[in-house]
Amino acid sequence: MKTIPKNPFEFKIVYNNSYVTLSYNEGLAMAICKADSEYIPIDEFKKIFLFVSEYIETSKICYFVFDKTNLRTFHQPSMEWYFAVWKPSLIVKGLVNHYKILPKLEWFAKAVEAGKHEIFQKYGKDILNGINITYVSSINEAIEQIQKDKKSSL
Amino acid sequence: MDINYYKEQLQAKEDMLARTTGFLSEIQNSLTEKNNYLANIQQDIFDSVNFAKLIQTSLLPDVDILKIFFNDAAYEISQQIGIGGDTIFIKSTNSGVVFCLLDATGHGIPATMLSISGSLILNDITSSLEIDNPSVLLKLLNYRLHKTFNNDKRSIAHFEGIVFYYCSKQNMLTYSSAKGKAFLINLNGNVISLQSSKNSVGENPNAEFERFELSFQKGEKLMLFSDGLTDQFGGEHDKKFSVLRLKQLLSGHSHKTVSELKEIIYQEHKAWKGNNKQTDDLSYKLIEF
Repeated sequence: MKTIPKNPFEFKIVYNNSYVTLSYNEGLAMAICKADSEYIPIDEFKKIFLFVSEYIETSKICYFVFDKTNLRTFHQPSMEWYFAVWKPSLIVKGLVNHYKILPKLEWFAKAVEAGKHEIFQKYGKDILNGINITYVSSINEAIEQIQKDKKSSL
Repeated sequence: MDINYYKEQLQAKEDMLARTTGFLSEIQNSLTEKNNYLANIQQDIFDSVNFAKLIQTSLLPDVDILKIFFNDAAYEISQQIGIGGDTIFIKSTNSGVVFCLLDATGHGIPATMLSISGSLILNDITSSLEIDNPSVLLKLLNYRLHKTFNNDKRSIAHFEGIVFYYCSKQNMLTYSSAKGKAFLINLNGNVISLQSSKNSVGENPNAEFERFELSFQKGEKLMLFSDGLTDQFGGEHDKKFSVLRLKQLLSGHSHKTVSELKEIIYQEHKAWKGNNKQTDDLSYKLIEF
């Protein structure tokens, strides 16, 4: 029996634990970090993102999707590190395009807004200079946008 | 997942809740502050408009001047925001009385300023010159307005209106209209629209305004009005009050006194408007010969 794939691109899993799955597609130069649990402890959070920092040295990543659909806890110290330390450190490695998928929960979106507000107050909005952040509702939407982006840059 | 994972998650959730609540409180405080600021501004504007209304109302003429020359007279003026561009002017001269109704372009504060300017210019003209020709009066008003406010680069002051001059010695009523609106209401209830020139005041410094003579009989009535009355949106299908409806109303109540007619028109307009916003400044003047 034939099955229709959810998306036409094959992603290989390059990192996996109880909290997240990291997958990668070379053709798209795209990595997806999908949260598999409601909460990611900060140490595990840092581990996975530091893994990306190493992985990008050998595998080109131009687009990074952080799928937080399963998350139910927005951990401010983790997010602060993610914004203020990890993201800027990846700019020099060529990763500037970030896509985010949030759970469809109004309170979670508000918590994210509150967290970002606090980060901006602390570091200023310049912290996002050189970084493109796009909120999407699904992986497929991110892929569509990336393909459009690739076509327009040709 | 061990117990520590859930403990840490609970702590993170509490932290998230506290941060989000703090953030929302901050937004609420900011909104309250902005709301108070806007409320203060609104109050300032409201007070300012109220005081301006007092000034504009103080410039309105005494209707009793007309009652010296005619059997009865009454007028109503209702500016859209309390102040506005409609002007009623009445002034006795050595040989009779000049009366008119002017409607400045637009509404609100700019129209109010134009309306007051128009009144003052008319007063100045009629005080310095003995004019017995309404056409000349409109021409002078037109010239002065154009010279003061309008030029090649801008054109900001326009009026529509109608000026009457009644010469008591000759018992003769003449008028000149710059797109102004007026009806003669016969004793048999016929409502006749008075003629008008096609020029408005202020548009062209060399504009001509035709002079007409209006013959009348004792008991007949004259009504001058601005388009704010007939252009009011309302009724069952949210349409304009219309000239036709006004004519029918006047025809049906032609035997009433001008004070009664004034009230009937006011109530009909109010009922037509319903909960709608007043479309424009409105005014009307009624005279019984």
